[in-house]
Amino acid sequence: MFVRWMLVLAACLALPWSAMAATEIEISAPGEQSIPLALTQFLPAQGPQAARVAAEINEVLDADLDLSGLFRFVSPAAFLDDAGRISLLSNQVNFPQWRMLGAETLIKGTYSVAGEQLVVEARLFDVVNRRLLTGRRYVGEVKDVRRMAHAFADLVLEALTGEEGPFSSRIAYISNLTGHPELWLMDVDGKRPIRLTNHRSIVLNPDFSPRGKEVLFTSYRANNPDLYRKEVYSGKEARLSYKPGLNVAGRMAPNEREIALTLSKDGNPEIYLVDISGRILKRITDNWGIDSDPSWSPDGSRIAFVSNRQGNPHIFIADIFTGKAERLTTQGKYNATPAWSPKGDRVAFSRQEGGRFDIYTIKTDGTDERRLTFGPGNSEHPRWSPDGRFLVYSLDKSGNRAIYVMRADGTGTRRLTTLESDCRHPAWSSRW
Amino acid sequence: MKVMQMLKVAMVVLFLFSGLIGCSTTPPVAPMDDQAKVSQADMSQKAEVKGVDDSSMKGEAVPSHDAVAGLERIQFDFDQFTLSEDARRILGENAKYLNANGGTQVVIEGHCDERGSDEYNLALGESRALAAKNYLVSLGIDAKRLSVISYGEEKPLVSGSTEEAWAQNRRAEFKAVN
Repeated sequence: MFVRWMLVLAACLALPWSAMAATEIEISAPGEQSIPLALTQFLPAQGPQAARVAAEINEVLDADLDLSGLFRFVSPAAFLDDAGRISLLSNQVNFPQWRMLGAETLIKGTYSVAGEQLVVEARLFDVVNRRLLTGRRYVGEVKDVRRMAHAFADLVLEALTGEEGPFSSRIAYISNLTGHPELWLMDVDGKRPIRLTNHRSIVLNPDFSPRGKEVLFTSYRANNPDLYRKEVYSGKEARLSYKPGLNVAGRMAPNEREIALTLSKDGNPEIYLVDISGRILKRITDNWGIDSDPSWSPDGSRIAFVSNRQGNPHIFIADIFTGKAERLTTQGKYNATPAWSPKGDRVAFSRQEGGRFDIYTIKTDGTDERRLTFGPGNSEHPRWSPDGRFLVYSLDKSGNRAIYVMRADGTGTRRLTTLESDCRHPAWSSRW
Repeated sequence: MKVMQMLKVAMVVLFLFSGLIGCSTTPPVAPMDDQAKVSQADMSQKAEVKGVDDSSMKGEAVPSHDAVAGLERIQFDFDQFTLSEDARRILGENAKYLNANGGTQVVIEGHCDERGSDEYNLALGESRALAAKNYLVSLGIDAKRLSVISYGEEKPLVSGSTEEAWAQNRRAEFKAVN
């Protein structure tokens, strides 16, 4: 009875407090503000010390939160004794000590290892107001440690900005590590790469279904560029469109019932809508030139695509229902690989200028074009993170192409894949 | 300010409650607000991502068709699939060969140089192969004898990032269908 009472009371309390939190720490865009954050080493609560577990938690949190651009890290060298104390309660943390170091936010945590079992307790504190902002207890196995840390990084962003981070999602890409271009999947920090196909042919151009853990891609396995779909967990794979000629650039609609796809069966690359069994529902473009590489608007009413109908490759936007297309890009002579942002306001693309590709974004009304990369090397094939905070792309400045990530304003660039193989065509999943 | 006063009152109430519930020997009691904000997440995975088991899967190597000796490849300008004078002349010769060798089935491969987006180049390679096919058909070759495939920039003829290499890689090739 008392417990129920307390829960009700606690719920009432949580409301005004979280409302206050929203006004105290206000973040509008990555890079615009930086909150001083103290990220302490996670400590063993029970059971043996597991230095690798602690190191992985901190490595992941450090990388994810740094990439977010929201924080300025307080140097661990300056940490005082509270950093070494297992005190996860807001009435036990020595907040004045952290305040003295200039920290406004504080992450503390513990881990407990018992055999294969792992429990991680993670907390985010508001140092200024001496209170807990959010916390979670992650229960799983030792091998889940990185996923736990990514999940907490997502939670930290949610607590401070109102929008969850994308760090628990995955990135699909093409690598030729085995000698053939095959489909691979990795964490958003480039770790835990795993190969999903063994076609020993040419696999290209993956794209995730909007909600499912499923990838569309093109493969020459049957001696034609055909469209395949693959369920990531079951490993099930099916060839779903195999018309003569191109079956490329398949992109599942937000409703997951239709796929925009480039076919050349009528003698010219055109964009069609097909259902999930590959049956043609509708032709969207009808033009003498090349029409390819569609990207859905988040509401599923329009697609951005590439066409050379006015001479050079440019980005166009077509209405799915009327088929009416309007040109989006006006600058440059070669614009390609459009990617509609998850918020719907911008389209990212790559432009070749001076013999080199760089990444740009533009508002969907054709205004406010912004250049994000400035060489060296070719930056190509941008794709948005599910929250729109980041872009993943390929860059060849070090010989082989590698997958890179940056903030949506072009800052914070980092390489995700190793340089031992040619890596390209990244696609970012929705939240996993 | 009113909120703060409410909170203070609430905290006092909470403190009393927690005193009632917790017994004197328990470790420090979490402030209610802490408890309300900490939840639990089960991170154990129901399924693992299926990686490829090399031993159980068989993939076929990409079949490489042989070039037909009597059929010469044609070249294209950057980002173009229109046929040059030279290309038309070569296709005329190729048509003569195909007329003289009625049984030959041909797959026309369209290729691009490494510049440009992979995705767009797949379409461009297709348009190059189709342009060659359509011209041969216009010269009287049965369309049934001609198929097309685009490899985009996946199969360069020569490696290197020079004008010379790029020019050679922008091509349509004529391969025998076995």
